[in-house]
Parts: sequence; C-alpha cells; structure tokens
Amino acid sequence: MGKGWCLFFLFWPVAAVVSCAMAPMVGWSFPYDNAQAASNLGIRIDGLFYLILLVTAVVFVGTQAVLVYALWRGSNNRDERATYTHGNHKLELIWSIIPGVILLFLALYQMNLWADFRIKKYFPEAAVKAPIAEVTARQFEWRFRYPAIGKKLQPKPQADDLYSVNELHVPFGKPVMIQLRSEDVQHSFFLPALRIKQDALPGLQIPVWFEANKEGVYDLVCAELCGWGHYKMKAHVIVESEADYQNYLKNLTQQQFYDGLGKIAANENDSESEATEK
Amino acid sequence: MRFGLSRLSLLLLFPLFSLTGCEQPQVNFVFSEKTNELVPEAAKPVKEALVRQFGNPFELTQFEGLPTDFGDVEGSVKTVQSSSGDEKLIRFQVEGLQDAYPKLLGLPLEWTSGKGQGQISRIKEYNYETGTIAVDKTADIEPQPGDTFLVECTRLQFGRDLYNRHCMHCHGMSGEGTGPTSRYLNPPPRDFRQGIYKYTSTKPTAKAQNADLERTVKEGIAGTYMPSFKLLTEDEVSAIVNYVVWLSIRGETEKKIVDELFFDYSKEVVAERTSEDGGESREDVMEELKEYMELDFPDTLEFATSSVAEAWEEANMEDAVVVPETPRVPDTPESRERGRKLYLGDKTKCATCHGLQGRGNGTATQDFWTNPATNEKYPNRGLHDIWGNQLPPRDLHRGIYRGGRRPIDVYRRMYSGIKGTPMPAFGGPLSDEELWDLVNYVMSLPYSSK
Repeated sequence: MGKGWCLFFLFWPVAAVVSCAMAPMVGWSFPYDNAQAASNLGIRIDGLFYLILLVTAVVFVGTQAVLVYALWRGSNNRDERATYTHGNHKLELIWSIIPGVILLFLALYQMNLWADFRIKKYFPEAAVKAPIAEVTARQFEWRFRYPAIGKKLQPKPQADDLYSVNELHVPFGKPVMIQLRSEDVQHSFFLPALRIKQDALPGLQIPVWFEANKEGVYDLVCAELCGWGHYKMKAHVIVESEADYQNYLKNLTQQQFYDGLGKIAANENDSESEATEK
Repeated sequence: MRFGLSRLSLLLLFPLFSLTGCEQPQVNFVFSEKTNELVPEAAKPVKEALVRQFGNPFELTQFEGLPTDFGDVEGSVKTVQSSSGDEKLIRFQVEGLQDAYPKLLGLPLEWTSGKGQGQISRIKEYNYETGTIAVDKTADIEPQPGDTFLVECTRLQFGRDLYNRHCMHCHGMSGEGTGPTSRYLNPPPRDFRQGIYKYTSTKPTAKAQNADLERTVKEGIAGTYMPSFKLLTEDEVSAIVNYVVWLSIRGETEKKIVDELFFDYSKEVVAERTSEDGGESREDVMEELKEYMELDFPDTLEFATSSVAEAWEEANMEDAVVVPETPRVPDTPESRERGRKLYLGDKTKCATCHGLQGRGNGTATQDFWTNPATNEKYPNRGLHDIWGNQLPPRDLHRGIYRGGRRPIDVYRRMYSGIKGTPMPAFGGPLSDEELWDLVNYVMSLPYSSK
C-alpha cells in the first residue's frame, strides 16, 4: 500500500465536507430563498434532513480518518507483518450498539413529524373538513377540480364543480388539503419548495395537506418516471391571499358557465390565468 | 477471471455505438401518400414547387399573401471581412439584429439595397455574440458597409423550434400526425395537413381561429393524449400556432394541387390510359403532362395557395365566430326535458349515434358506413372521421368535454358540428332556444341517475 491511497481516501471526506459547505452558495442546496422551505412543515423536514446529514457526515469523516490513519501507519511501517485475529467482542458491541442507538433515536425523533405529515388523524382539522380541490395526475398534465364557491368537494364530480389544468390556486396563510388521484399510471405530486411529495396511484384517492408560509408561484412537478413526457409534466401552484383566491374562483365560475355573451366575451379564449391577472 | 480480449474489444466498441446513436436523422417535410402515387414526371414538379414555396424544416421559405407572421427583421452591414479568393463564404458584421431571435442559421436574407438588391441569400453561419453573418459568395452580391437587408422568417423559425421541441414527437415534422410516439396513442395525433381542426369557435364551413388553436395548446384536450402547455408564455403559444397554421397551409396546398393532377396522372390512371383499352401512348400522355406543367401548373399553384390562405384569413375575422343570439336558457328541469325530447326526436336524430341513453352506442355504430373520399364502404362497422380513424360517438355520461366544458363550447359543437367528423351542424335547423335546451340536457347527463 502506497501513500497515494492515503491521499485518495483522504480526498473524499474533504471533498464531501467542502462541497456541502459550498452548496448553498452555488445553488446546489434545497430550492427557494436561501434553501429555506416555503412551508413550516418543510422547515421541520429540512431540520430532520440536516440532523441526518450531520450524523452521517460525522460517521463518514470519522471512519475515513481511521482508514487514512491505518493506511498511513501501514505504509510507514513495512517491516511489521499483518496478523489475523478472530475479532474483538467489545469492539463489535460498540459499533453495533452506537449505530443502533442513533437509528432508534432518529426513528423516535421523527415520529411526530411523520405523523403530522402523513397520518390523516393529525392533519389540521380545518383542512381535512374542506379539501380545496381534487388533483388528478394524467400523462402529462395536472387537472384540478374545485367545488363550487360555498360548497364542499364531493368524491364524485358535481354539475357546478370548477375545473382547471396545470394551475392550482390555493389561499395563503392556512393549511390546505387536496385529494390526489391518478387517471392512468403512477405519478408523484411533488412541490419541491414546500418539501411535499406524495405518489398518486390509480384507483386511490390520497389526501395531502400543505401550508405555504410565503405567497408566490411554486413549481409542481411529477417525481415518478411516468412515461416519455414525464419531464413536461409541470404545473404551477399559486399561493395567494384569501381575497385573490376567492376572486380567482369567481372568475373561474364566470368562465366555466360562459355562454358566449356578456362581458367576458372579449377574452373568452384566454386561459383562466389571464383572467385573474390584473 | 481475467478481463478477456473479447470484453476489452466490446468496451472499446462502446463509444462507437454511442456515437452512431447521436447521429442526426435526416429531417425533411414529408409528402403525402397521394403525391407519391403520381407518376414520377408529375410528382417531381409538385415536390419541387412545394420545396420552393415552403422550403424544408431547416430552411423555411416565405412567400407573399399568407396569413402567417413571418417576423422579418431589418439589419444593415457594418463591416465586411476581407476574404481570400477561394473562400466560398463571405462574412460581415451586422447592426440591428441585437434584439432579434438569436438563431438565424439557415434563414433567408433579402438584400434591400446595394448591388445585390432583391437577391436572397441563405445565412450559413451566424454568431450572436459578435453579430457576424456568413452567406454564400456569388457574383451578384457584394455587401458594402451601409447596405440594408431583411432577415426573413424569424418568427416562423421561433415557432418551428418550439414545435419541434413540444409537438413534433406526436404530430410529426410536417404536421402529418405520425411522429415517433404517435403509434402508441389512441386517439392518434391530428394530421394538420387537411387544415381541419375539430374544436373551433367558428361557423361550420370556416377554419379554426388562431385563438381556438391557442386555447387547445394551453388547455390540452381532455380525454386524449394532448396535454396542456399552459406553462409556455403567450408569445410562445402564439408562435407555435403560427407555425402549425403554416404547416396546415403547406399540407393543404399540396393536397389541392395533387387532387388536380391525380385524376389524369396518377400511376394507376396513366397505366390505364396507356393500356390496350386506353389506347394512348406513354409519350402522348407525357407530352400532355409537360404542356400542362408549363401552361397551367403555375396558375394552379397560385390559386391553391391563395385560396387556402384566404380561408385561414377569413376564419380569423370577427364574423366567423359563432355567437348565440340569445343567452343560455336557464338550466331548469323543463328546459332539460325539452332538450331530451329534441335529443330523441327526428329533428336531430342524436340518439341514432349517441344512443337512447347517451351512452355512445346508437344504432349507427352498427352500420357499415361509406368513406366520402373514396365512396367505398369502411371495412369495419361504426362511424369514421375524415382522417380515416374509427370514431365512437361520445358517451355523454362521462363528463369529458374535449372541446371545452363551458356551455358555449357545447353550444358550438352543436351549432357547427365537429369538423372532420360525422357530427353534423345543427345551427340552421335548430333555433337558439332549442340548441340551449339541448345543451342543458346533454350537460345534465353525467349527473343523472339513469
């Protein structure tokens, strides 16, 4: 074993630490606003991520340091022959129990977050009571069905439901829930900025909740390789004030029941998005 | 195990395989089947004329009188680079193209002043950073500083680039509907070359408005593989539609001139004419064809393009749009009942195709229909569209409205019919109130218990 190998194994932990430290500066980190999630739940998820990153980094750097030390010593001491030992019971215990404890800690530590994110019983009550829309993933677009203003979303389409495609509007400052479905294959509802990701499965209706902590336009992408047009399956989630949201629904209602006459005739061929833009 | 020689050679071959995979396929506008069925002597001038008028996907050409936004940009020569005598290209720096679409390679450049005035050069190289253009060196062109020119088709080229990125893999390079993924899709992607689009806001005989096509691009077509492209900007969508209409015009022009020639000069007809029964010699037929090509063909071509262009222009006029005279009749049980009676009645015969319950299983789906283009019966039962696809009448209970789910969309489907399909136009036979009653009835079906 030459010293070259020492350098080789030394290089990787150094490279890993340096690239992690640089990541936020060069835009390799999480998306949006200094890598800060756009939802409170997302910030908690990021916290969990950083904790796991820290634990694995310490373990990785530590083991590499031991490896490099052993190689370095070995390469400086060519007279000493390696010997075979059956193992060290104490050592085995230590490196089994410590990772076990760490894993157990992580498992317990994340339980609340997981429950808040995924278990319907722990969802914010207001959101569960009034899902704002049904989101149907389809090769290769997102279709949305809102209940009529003042009504509740029904599992089956209603005559006065409102529809849009690739543009989901949600009110700001309160948790919202959607019912996620797929019309064809498996898709995944992914809001990178909010750290929300949930698979959509044909035949199932899956509730997903989120709460954006900043107004804005967020990307909605498909995170499941769903076919050749997968990369095009993009939409926008527009988080806006309650008033703007209601206004949007009003506009959508007007467009949806448009009979070719009346005041929206001028831009009748425009999409919903323009009608709401002032 | 040792790393054998055979494996090593395979590994070495790998880059070769990958490189061959990267080779650009030959890209061209395809000609219709009917064009290829003409005798070569007739097909050749048709193809040449189309290439002359429309160019190919790399070198788009513009000509007068089309309702197309070609997007010409003016520029002038700043300095001319000196070149050695045997150089084939002439390079010069330009002014005025800074804000233009950056990819001008292959576009026509028309000289508007200087020695080459009126001449058209092709841009063989273009460097956006330095603003340097290279064109073929010819005796007629001698750019001097200050000479002005027009770069043509920048808008069309912008549309083509977007089309090739977003639409081509289904709709094909020339809009013929046979892109690489088309074989996996049902319903198949539209063949634009007939210039017929199903979901329009226009009167029965009119073409689609640009706004209709823009709406389709933005909203997609529910129930088909046409997805929504709402994240494209308004400008991008209109550039795509501009190009799609141009492709339609190219296809329709081809169809018109080939239809004109087909009756006399298809391979089959010529074989018949020169057979023993036909009695003509091949030389005679070819002489006649030659004469036609010299005397009448230019006019035929001119007429074909201008009539197609005119139809597209008319469709974009305000009065081409179907606007109901009366507002929607209130959606009451009475109105729905009147609609139901109309639906079942002899005046509309809706049930013949859509079925008594609106399930899309009317008696017409069991008949053998005649192809209006060939006057032959289709080999399978049921309705067909003009693109030759079998077309089941819509199941009205599914709540999927391909042409849009607004009442006005459904009204227009009934008023103008669905173009290219057996769905007839009821705009004349039915009054506005009757149409609205029908709309109310049809739109209530997905939510009825029956």
